Amino acid sequence: MKKVPRIASLCILFAFSAASLVVAQTKGTLVFGLSGNPDTLDPQKTAGTLTFQVVKSFYDTLVEPNTDGTIVPALAESWTVSPDGLIWTFKLRRNVVFHNGQPFTSKDVRASLERIKDEATASPKRSEFAAIKEIRTPDAATVVIVLSQPYAPLLASLASGWGAILPSGLIASGHNFGAEPVGTGPFKFEKWIRDNKITMVRNDTYWMKGLPKLAKVEFQIIPERAVQVQGLSAGVIDAVEFIDPEDLPLFSSNPKVSIKKELTSLIMVMAMNCSREPLNDLRVRQAVNYAIDKQVVLDVAYGGGKVGSTFLDTGNAYYTDFSYLYPYNPDKARQLLKAAGVDTREFTITVPQNYPLHVKAAELIQQMLEKVGMHVKLQLVDWSTWLSSVYNGGNYDFTVIGHTGKLDPDGTLAGYGTGKYVKWINATAAQKIKEAAAISDFAARKKLYTEVLEIMAKEVPFVYLGTSYRYVGTRSNVVDFRMTPNLDTFDFRWTELK
Amino acid sequence: MDLARFIAKRLLRLVLTVLLISTIVFFVIRVIPGDPALLIAGIDATPSDIAAIRAKLGTDRPLSAQYFDFLWKVAHLDFGNSMISEEPVTALILQRFPLTLALAVLGMVIGTVIAIPIGILSAVKPWSAWDYVGLVMSQLGMAIPSFWLGIFLLLVFAVKIPIFPLFGAETLASLVLPAFSLGFARAAILLRHTRASMSEELSKEYIIAAKAKGLTDRMIKYKHALKNALLPIITVAGIEFGYMLGGAIIIEQVFSLPGLGRLFLYAIYQRDFPLIQGGVVFIAIVFSLVNFAADVLYSVVNPKIRLE
Repeated sequence: MKKVPRIASLCILFAFSAASLVVAQTKGTLVFGLSGNPDTLDPQKTAGTLTFQVVKSFYDTLVEPNTDGTIVPALAESWTVSPDGLIWTFKLRRNVVFHNGQPFTSKDVRASLERIKDEATASPKRSEFAAIKEIRTPDAATVVIVLSQPYAPLLASLASGWGAILPSGLIASGHNFGAEPVGTGPFKFEKWIRDNKITMVRNDTYWMKGLPKLAKVEFQIIPERAVQVQGLSAGVIDAVEFIDPEDLPLFSSNPKVSIKKELTSLIMVMAMNCSREPLNDLRVRQAVNYAIDKQVVLDVAYGGGKVGSTFLDTGNAYYTDFSYLYPYNPDKARQLLKAAGVDTREFTITVPQNYPLHVKAAELIQQMLEKVGMHVKLQLVDWSTWLSSVYNGGNYDFTVIGHTGKLDPDGTLAGYGTGKYVKWINATAAQKIKEAAAISDFAARKKLYTEVLEIMAKEVPFVYLGTSYRYVGTRSNVVDFRMTPNLDTFDFRWTELK
Repeated sequence: MDLARFIAKRLLRLVLTVLLISTIVFFVIRVIPGDPALLIAGIDATPSDIAAIRAKLGTDRPLSAQYFDFLWKVAHLDFGNSMISEEPVTALILQRFPLTLALAVLGMVIGTVIAIPIGILSAVKPWSAWDYVGLVMSQLGMAIPSFWLGIFLLLVFAVKIPIFPLFGAETLASLVLPAFSLGFARAAILLRHTRASMSEELSKEYIIAAKAKGLTDRMIKYKHALKNALLPIITVAGIEFGYMLGGAIIIEQVFSLPGLGRLFLYAIYQRDFPLIQGGVVFIAIVFSLVNFAADVLYSVVNPKIRLE
């Protein structure tokens, strides 16, 4: 009879140790709520942010932005640019190994850059590397990139997700990187169940000593916002990238969830089609600018932010403030509309329905414009229709959208002044944008960009709403989860679960 | 009954249906606004980048060439590769199908188990307690949107009382709440049809004749009337089941399930032409097969009905 309790206590002991084993194992696993399924995991075949957010952990780039957005060494230990800006020499880090065991050398850099330049790859980012004329590999740890013309934005492209370095051996054998990424990054790809989850495990031989700290990251693909929010509250999800401003009150009394408010690098705008009557009249575009209370739109639709005045994110080093030009002034708007002869004509704001925040902003703007006597209706379209009819087709009056930030201002400004989607033509601005791309000196570039931004601020092809905040939600035991500045990708290298 | 001829006839009809549907879909998705190349390109690509993507996808070729290429491939049961993920369409569909099938079967079982007994009892005993239960349930099932019911169930049974997972599709347990949300709405429709069909049978003359012959009440209701009443119920159930096999988009979205519905929904959002085409053909085939099964079931339930 005595035996029974002993067995029972053994069982209990076993159960407890098994339970603690499970806890020990899962403690290093971070569960991340991802809002959608990436199109592909091949960094050279997409422009989708979701892809880059996930593959950031699989791949490294030659250089990368640090926490304040400055470009610093990564796979390259150092680099030099010749005085004419044509020859870029990168000294590579030694003893870096790909996840498949292949050592990283200059050959991999050449193969990766050649792959993105290849027309057959059909990379959406191919043009960013068009200035590269030749890639030399004098030794295993040196890469020399020769350009056909000076092109300063190249460094930013090399630091972006699409500048990822892939192993040359697998490139040669036609490996499907879209389904099975292999890089030198802090985490190794484990499994991807489409529309369900992506898992990755620590790369124990990562070149940054002692990093990453997590053993595993599990991206759970959860399209429904309410489920993400509940998951974070209940603790089944450790972190989500974005909490909708409307959901913030749900967390205000939950000590186990911490919300971090960060300024994004988004440029929220209402674009105006400058080729259409009467928006081709500067006075009408000015009137629209005077009629909109930008701070209200930012606060109510986007959960706050910093009001903008020109076509760059307000936190950008190249940004200059021109907000004195068109302060909120509905009376002035009415006068200008009268002078321009705008009366009963109906305008349409076309918005992509998959972005509920832009839809909300458009609704607010509609009310503000009607207050100054304009007739405005809303039209919701799906993203594909928006891309083809609005952005590329120019079939719209107004549209509300957010432009993602770029590491280099050329990424934001290239193509404007020549009729790109707002159909705004300005030869001076277009010329200055081109000139600035060829200069590497910060002060000289800033001078040119300030001139361009001033022209864009005065001629207002857009209503510059500003740059919004982002609310990143994590469980309070999650330490040091970072979002890469400007690129908005996830950086789990320093992240820990306390 | 010539089963072989029946099957041959049905197969021919299936082939014609697929041909017609795939042709319509092929042209409709190319006429509506949207271009897969622009979706891949995003908003920073240059015109030459976009041209290279179109060339790779083959969407720069004349429509007629694309159409004949498509027909040729369909004839070989090849739907090509997804334009977005570059994976074979057939593999993508078959990966998703088991989950959707499990969900549909489970949903159907739940729906039928709720609907048919209550529906029959409501008809047999009109204005009884059962009838009121049935009435309330069918009203609720039709009035409550399934996404609302889904989120409500998650809040109660995954958050407050965490017995089911909040998301994911790892275990059978993760299918219970979605199948219930799906089945409940189906049950509402099925319940109404069952009640109506059974009431109608019970008011027919042969029932009076059977009573006059002295058959027991039980025999009349559950042997004679029910057998005839089942026919329209099978039709409705078949159609409902066919719908569910095409993927329950809203349910999959709420419960984060990787089923066919979400696959096809995103294919449409992204204008992934091969995947949309493959998906529509797949659904057409599934619908035809389910209808076929329903027809065969008719003749089992009532041998007087011949397969023609």
